[in-house]
Amino acid sequence: MMNATFPQVRIVPLRMLKPETAERLLNMLAGIAGIRRMMIHGPGLPKKVPYGPARGSPNPHSDRRAIHVGDAEIALRIAAGEIILEVEDASVIEEIRSLCDGFFTGFSYQLQEGRFMKTAPTLVDYAKYGPRADTMFIGLADPRNGEGPVLIRTER
Amino acid sequence: MAYKPQYGPGTSIVAANRRKQMNPGQKLEKVRSVTDEDIVLILGHRAPGSAYPSAHPPLAEQQEPNCPMRKLVKPTAGATAGDRVRYIQFADSMFNAPSQPYQRTYTECYRFRGIDPGTLSGRQIVECRERDLEKYAKDLIETEMFDPALVGIRGATVHGHSLRLAEDGMMFDMLQRDVLGEDGVVKYVKNQIGEPLDRAVAVGKPMDQKWLKAHTTIFHSLVGTSYRDDTEYVEYIQRIHSLRTKYGFMPKEE
Repeated sequence: MMNATFPQVRIVPLRMLKPETAERLLNMLAGIAGIRRMMIHGPGLPKKVPYGPARGSPNPHSDRRAIHVGDAEIALRIAAGEIILEVEDASVIEEIRSLCDGFFTGFSYQLQEGRFMKTAPTLVDYAKYGPRADTMFIGLADPRNGEGPVLIRTER
Repeated sequence: MAYKPQYGPGTSIVAANRRKQMNPGQKLEKVRSVTDEDIVLILGHRAPGSAYPSAHPPLAEQQEPNCPMRKLVKPTAGATAGDRVRYIQFADSMFNAPSQPYQRTYTECYRFRGIDPGTLSGRQIVECRERDLEKYAKDLIETEMFDPALVGIRGATVHGHSLRLAEDGMMFDMLQRDVLGEDGVVKYVKNQIGEPLDRAVAVGKPMDQKWLKAHTTIFHSLVGTSYRDDTEYVEYIQRIHSLRTKYGFMPKEE
């Protein structure tokens, strides 16, 4: 069982972020020591048209592309709406706040503290990963999707 | 004295805009110009320049039953020619879009003939004969009822009306049917169901915040006019609520 006392925060900008902006923000966040886990959340940009008469045909979208954070490549398949973070302790939150204050100049943002990410495996996680799943990865990726989480290593 | 419809209550600019759109006596301001061919491309029902496919022979060629209603009601151009029934669907952002689903349906019922509107929370579809549709669609796109950034012409996959806007001010569209070019003009690169177009269709520049706030028909306490500020509207809705609640008890006079 994961230690449930790690604080979690959510960065909610007033506008949906473009991949370039999300990339810049995530790279700045990756430079902060003390962020344990991070999740990008937002509405999906499907590869194929999901509904309607054109269902199944390709759906080219300029915002669905790979971004580079630290040394890792992340295939972005959503419009970045919010960024959920799990941090080591409350001091890191203040660091994130001061970074965001400097970053979001064109439009405002909210930094919310609460519980936004899974801290314990659910039944679906149990069925997918088994009883000895690494709880570090629980809640970071959709268990029904083949893609797993990305590990970001940065020079500190 | 002849009956004069009031169209709706309210003293705010939003209420005035709602009345203006609904009132067929008021001419809507033409804001942009889109060609007939562009409309046909966005709708995606037929190739530009092709003949209108028909669902039945023209009325002149078929025997009409002896019906007093048919004598009374003049058919629209599309019905006369026997056109198919086709549709256009709009999604309107909650961030001060110039129209919204219920408003669209009221407006269309007052202004257009031979239509079948469908109203949902985030989208509004209107069906009618194909050549009538193209005429109505032109009106809906060229006038102040449309904004290139905040209104989407979306036949399917409409999600986005209640989401935050993108950084460039465009409403979210997972199919990216319309893109804001570097010249500041919004262009449709796919038709309303998401099939790529052979050429981009320009629908003009997004309107500025001041214009949107002055022309919107949506109350929004954060970015526009707050509903609570319009006391007449609140009073009206409270009266309706009170009356329908009381009627639920089926009051009887002894």
